[in-house]
Amino acid sequence: MSARDAILSRLKGAAPDKAEADALLVAPERPMVDEDALEAEFLARLALPSVSASHDAIDTIADLPAAVARYLDAQGEARSLCLPPDPRLMACDWRGFTLHDVAAPDEAAALAIARRGIAESGSLVFETSPQAPMLPNFLTLHHIVLLAVRDIAAHLEAAPLVGAQPRAHYWITGVSGTTDIEGSYVRGAHGPRFLHVILLREQ
Amino acid sequence: MTRKVALFVTCLVDLMRPRIGFAAIRALEAAGCEVVVPEGQTCCGQPALNSGDRDHAVALAKQTIAALEPYEAVVVPSGSCAGTIRCHYSELFEHDAAWRARAQAVAGNTFEIMAYLDEVCGWKPEGVTVDARATYHDSCSGLRELGIKAQPRRLLKSVEGLRFAPLAGEETCCGFGGTFCVKYPAISNAIVGEKADAIDATGADLLLAGDLGCLMNMAGKLNRKGSKVRAFHAIELIAGMGDGPAIGEEA
Amino acid sequence: MSGFTASFKDRADAALADPILKVAVERTAGTAQAKRAVAVEAFPDFEAARDRAAAIKDHVIAHLGAYLEEFEANAIAAGARVHWASTTDEACRIVIDICKAAGAKSVARSKSMLGEEIGLPHALAEAGIGRVETDLAEHIIQLADERPSHIIWPAMHKTREQVSALFKAKHRSPHQEETIAAMAESARRELRTQMLGADVGISGANFLIADTGAICTVTNEGNAELSLVPPRVHIVTAGIEKIVPSMPHAIHMLRMLARSATGAALTQYTTFYTGPKRVGDRDGPEAMHIVLVDNGRTKMREEGLAEMLRCIRCGACMNHCVVFRQIGGHAYGGTYPGPMGAVLTPVFDGLKESRELASACTLNGKCQEVCPVRIPLPTLLKGWREKSWREGLEPRSMRWGLGVWAWVARRPALYRFGTGVAVRAMQMLGKTGWINRLPLAGGWTQYRDMPKPAPQTFMNQYKKERRR
Repeated sequence: MSARDAILSRLKGAAPDKAEADALLVAPERPMVDEDALEAEFLARLALPSVSASHDAIDTIADLPAAVARYLDAQGEARSLCLPPDPRLMACDWRGFTLHDVAAPDEAAALAIARRGIAESGSLVFETSPQAPMLPNFLTLHHIVLLAVRDIAAHLEAAPLVGAQPRAHYWITGVSGTTDIEGSYVRGAHGPRFLHVILLREQ
Repeated sequence: MTRKVALFVTCLVDLMRPRIGFAAIRALEAAGCEVVVPEGQTCCGQPALNSGDRDHAVALAKQTIAALEPYEAVVVPSGSCAGTIRCHYSELFEHDAAWRARAQAVAGNTFEIMAYLDEVCGWKPEGVTVDARATYHDSCSGLRELGIKAQPRRLLKSVEGLRFAPLAGEETCCGFGGTFCVKYPAISNAIVGEKADAIDATGADLLLAGDLGCLMNMAGKLNRKGSKVRAFHAIELIAGMGDGPAIGEEA
Repeated sequence: MSGFTASFKDRADAALADPILKVAVERTAGTAQAKRAVAVEAFPDFEAARDRAAAIKDHVIAHLGAYLEEFEANAIAAGARVHWASTTDEACRIVIDICKAAGAKSVARSKSMLGEEIGLPHALAEAGIGRVETDLAEHIIQLADERPSHIIWPAMHKTREQVSALFKAKHRSPHQEETIAAMAESARRELRTQMLGADVGISGANFLIADTGAICTVTNEGNAELSLVPPRVHIVTAGIEKIVPSMPHAIHMLRMLARSATGAALTQYTTFYTGPKRVGDRDGPEAMHIVLVDNGRTKMREEGLAEMLRCIRCGACMNHCVVFRQIGGHAYGGTYPGPMGAVLTPVFDGLKESRELASACTLNGKCQEVCPVRIPLPTLLKGWREKSWREGLEPRSMRWGLGVWAWVARRPALYRFGTGVAVRAMQMLGKTGWINRLPLAGGWTQYRDMPKPAPQTFMNQYKKERRR
């Protein structure tokens, strides 16, 4: 008998009732979020010590290069950027920047667009696609994220995609950190030490 | 109407510190109860139950149930023994419906002494004075199985002159654990050592708790390290017997 | 993989004699305990959330076979290969075969307790496959050639000074400054190239999502993603109990997991991987393999340990355990330490070898109180005690002593007489109210004094008073 058959033969039983599984999700306990102040709620979570992200705001996506330049200048970093091949980003004017489409192991900064922001935790939600590689967002020292204010949702239940799933769906909730030595918190264990969110406020 | 209650003394109180049993009777009588001490009682069987010796645990549970079931209420000066009767007896008779019913009936009538005085009788000590600073340790079984937390504090608040010094880690186990302290004395010692330090750090004169096992463990450690803190079962103070010898003091 | 080199008592004694261990454990577990308390307090109705989490897991465990098949079908549809393993050997063999078929010289591993449970580090070494542990604590453990001592903080037993010395001896360009930040930076430098150059990435899974076929990992460091995106092959080893029906169920469990483990609202990186890279994707592995491991779990479900299958490996039980806080994780000897480990180790390593773990517990109930899925850990530990007693594994002195005591206790008249004699005899043992040395109870009086009993038992005094 295969291991599969051996295991499943010991787990025989009624198929799960979908209604029973759904009933377990009615009115879940979750952090309180003021639905009328999602941006403020999101930013408050973003500033928590465990998240430690900074933020800026722009009115139109045309202002994005200037906001990125402002951030990199303030950090004392060169205007060098790993830019994913997302048409929304490619349409911006990146004159004055050195752009890479692949992140080098010592790449300083990467830019990405979050599909959603989640107010209850200050999380940013991403998926992989031909326009959205994953590695740069974990490799660089600075992770810069564009998030449209209208894409902020109250709770994590709004994060998943419905239907076919991409290779990876991921939530980033703050900078890479570790407490592995004496429980003491240190930023930038393997991934980004800095997370900078640029809010896009256009309606 | 007079409440008729049976006192389940517990083997530890019977053997080591009868004063606790007499304090329980005194407080219950002050609260208007008529107290009887059923003859057939010895030990609730917890040592066997917690050691995995199910046969002996069942035998002692049956004996205890038979001794206690004639009474409308059973009161116990120990959270851990009351917890055994209330929470664990019926588990022993999973496959014995008749005894399970009897176990459940007794369980439903069994109360920890301070919970009974406070919640059932709605009684408060009157005219009791103890001029001292006390700290309180919440014994684990009483706290987590029976929810004994506010009741002793409410009763002790009515003791005149008694002040409170909060104990850091008041809900942390003292390391007694019944047979645990005999099987693993070194680990138990490390745990009670920290507890004794925390008790000393309160600056209290008295250590109070609701379980004699834990009290013997903590008082024994305090005495060994030369502490001046004196230990009593809370019911002794509540019953106006706080002027007597503390645990380990000569009568 | 067990480490029963000495008796539990010897291991515990060694741990108690190590002042550095105590300091190290206290620093991390103490912080975790405090942070959890704040997070739970801030969460609306955490008690109801625990009920829900337990109900979700119970629902899954009741229908485990059907959910596993659903997960398998969806994972395959997404392009993953699904393997099944009944034993640790089978699981390791599957992983090694995949590595060999891929021509792998090195693997990057993202911390997985299941990997430890099945002995994967050892199996990889035997197969001659290089392994780089990418979680900072696992990296420390790998350099020190030790075993994890905690399921969330595997290097909890190490102080910063010990880590510093280790990195200085083993890293190519170690830190200069004696700070934890500089040490973490040293590990970042050391591990980065190794991670990016691995042929295979191996992870566990915190959750398996039945209706999408996704596997979920959570980390704070980002090492899972750095270990699993660049290599050509991603292998997941997961216990079959890790299933949840859907994403919203996973979301509830994730809220509970992070708060119970570290006190955070979420871990920094939560990733759901569904199959290998898609056409046109810029990165991701060519192949994804998922190994579903039983290793005693179906047996646990049949033999009264189904509640233990709720466990989401948060570590709260051990952080709050008075025994763990004194002896640390290594003394437990199994893969999993603390209360949950004391329940699981007899399943994996046999009761005969590990029966003492169930006894080394005060049954204070704190672990159950903080468990996010309400596992009745003390009850399960008592279950092991009962089995051990039934199978005659308890020491003869204990059986005999308890037997005599129970025999007497069942005869109230004899009991009254015996206890009366005993308390009179004990009057001789102490000049004051205290007994400093007690025959047959040396374990007690070695460390603390025993109050001398009153000269008469309660029952005898009470009877006399009644007669008056």
